[in-house]
Amino acid sequence: MFEISKEVLLQSIINGLVLGWIYVLMALGLSLILSITSILQFAHGEVYMLGAYIVYYLSVISGINFFVAIFISVALMAVLGLLLERFFFRPLRGEFLPPMIVALGLMILLQSGVTVGFGINPKSIPSFAPGSIKILGTMIGVDRAVAAGISIALALLLFLFLKISKYGLALTAASQHREASILQGIGPDRMSALAMAVGSALAATGGALMGAILVLNPFMGSTALIKGLIIIVLGGMGSLFGGVVGGIILGLIDGVILVVFGPVAASVAPLLLVAVILVIKPQGLFGHEF
Amino acid sequence: MSSKKQAIDRYSVISFIICLFIAPLFLRNNYWLHVLGITGINIILVSSLHTIRSTGEISMGTGGFMALGAYTSALLAMKVGLCFWLTMLLAGILCAAVAVILGYPFMRTKGIYFSILTLVTGEVFRLIAWYYRSLTGGSVGLSGIPGPNPITIPGITTIMFDTKVDYYYLILVIALLSLLILFRLQTSQVGFVWSTIRETDHLAASVGINVLQYKIFAFGIGSFFTGIAGALFAHFMHLLAADATGKFGMTTSIYILIYMVFGGEGKFMGPVIGAFILTILPETFRAMKEYQPVIFGALVILIVFFIPQGIIALPDRILLWRRRKKTS
Repeated sequence: MFEISKEVLLQSIINGLVLGWIYVLMALGLSLILSITSILQFAHGEVYMLGAYIVYYLSVISGINFFVAIFISVALMAVLGLLLERFFFRPLRGEFLPPMIVALGLMILLQSGVTVGFGINPKSIPSFAPGSIKILGTMIGVDRAVAAGISIALALLLFLFLKISKYGLALTAASQHREASILQGIGPDRMSALAMAVGSALAATGGALMGAILVLNPFMGSTALIKGLIIIVLGGMGSLFGGVVGGIILGLIDGVILVVFGPVAASVAPLLLVAVILVIKPQGLFGHEF
Repeated sequence: MSSKKQAIDRYSVISFIICLFIAPLFLRNNYWLHVLGITGINIILVSSLHTIRSTGEISMGTGGFMALGAYTSALLAMKVGLCFWLTMLLAGILCAAVAVILGYPFMRTKGIYFSILTLVTGEVFRLIAWYYRSLTGGSVGLSGIPGPNPITIPGITTIMFDTKVDYYYLILVIALLSLLILFRLQTSQVGFVWSTIRETDHLAASVGINVLQYKIFAFGIGSFFTGIAGALFAHFMHLLAADATGKFGMTTSIYILIYMVFGGEGKFMGPVIGAFILTILPETFRAMKEYQPVIFGALVILIVFFIPQGIIALPDRILLWRRRKKTS
């Protein structure tokens, strides 16, 4: 084995954590939708991708400020989430396979639609904050630092929303016990719509930030979906706090194991970790009973 | 009525199989034989998924297990020099063993969480094939996989595998055998236990059925045939690559699941018909290749909303609709 310097390792850990935090946004949205509607939103990756594409067209083609473009894109994707919930998921709620298949159909439809409409070639959003800063003795791009900061802020905001505000508490209640929450006058339709809107908005933000750091292509959604699912699986299924922990674990795996043991070990590690966790604690790290 | 209907079903299946056997006499076109070969592989995949589904769970790792089978068989044939028949079997057994080992922790979860776990597993298998360059060729791929060894039937003839027609018959025979085994399993005692678990797993556990064991068994059997299909694919294509948009990616797992639902999971033949139609149909619209997935996605959504029982329920539905029209 060749020697890996401490700087390289630290650099790699920070990079892994930054990308991990963006994927946490994806995982939080997925997890929120899953716990409220019991639907795995496979098209979530496509919402993420569309969010990035809208920002690209607004900021690069139309010349609008990047952060304003993110706001517009997030609002549009929240509306898309509402529409998807109303017309595709609400009629099928309570079933297992049909909503899953519809979500898969939407995934294929949106992905190939974007391929046909915007082309298969990768596009890139110019960096919104060029330059780099020094953190813990390693250099990190300002845009990456800002992206991680935004992600952490949004995750915190989501927690505050769920713990303090009336609608957030209603969402938490609906995710814990559906029937009991209905008895308390919490409408399930409204909760599903809210979860889809919030989840889609988070995904769109993640997509736009990732688009500014890496590149955009019509298939970026699948990668993000898989990363989001790995985070959910690592952190314990059905728990939002678990999602954050899962994101950090994934970031560390991508940072440490990738550099020290290579890509094969880095891709196997999450699976092995999950298998071990499930043997010891069948609910997952922070999950609840199934 | 019921026995008469069963007889009709049986005759239609038998006549269809005969049609498949004589098809190469009329299809002189290698392209269509290739498509039919892929169809056969897809049919094995969809039936093994249906077997796992009969316990109520949905595996989304079809692509990954297929990759495991394909690379195992190809590497054993190329690096060790074993014959195809043995490598195919070993590929299936390895897939089953991996499924049983992973099934032990995974089957503690159920429903959507099992699907997520298998999806992640499938993707991990593909990534191993993608990154393990020294063994699998990585992004370049693995080429020059030998075809099956010739079979000598003493005194009669030797079957060589050098034309598309031979491969077609090979896949046809293996697909039919797999279907027969899976059909017998689903209609056997074990199959009834599986459907009991699917209906009410708590009740099944309360009458002394070891739910975990039966579920793991179904997962193992399904993965065995997925591995067989992967091995067939490897020796049929002579070339393997594990890129994200290729045959081993998430796309295959999704498409196989969609074939199953499109055909109708209520009956054994439903998924088979679904795979057959949805593999052949897009090939006839090759001119609009770009728009194919768009149409496919839209079709899937329409099917779920309008014929949730799948294509196989279509005749019954039409009958019902006509009867209702007559009475009103």
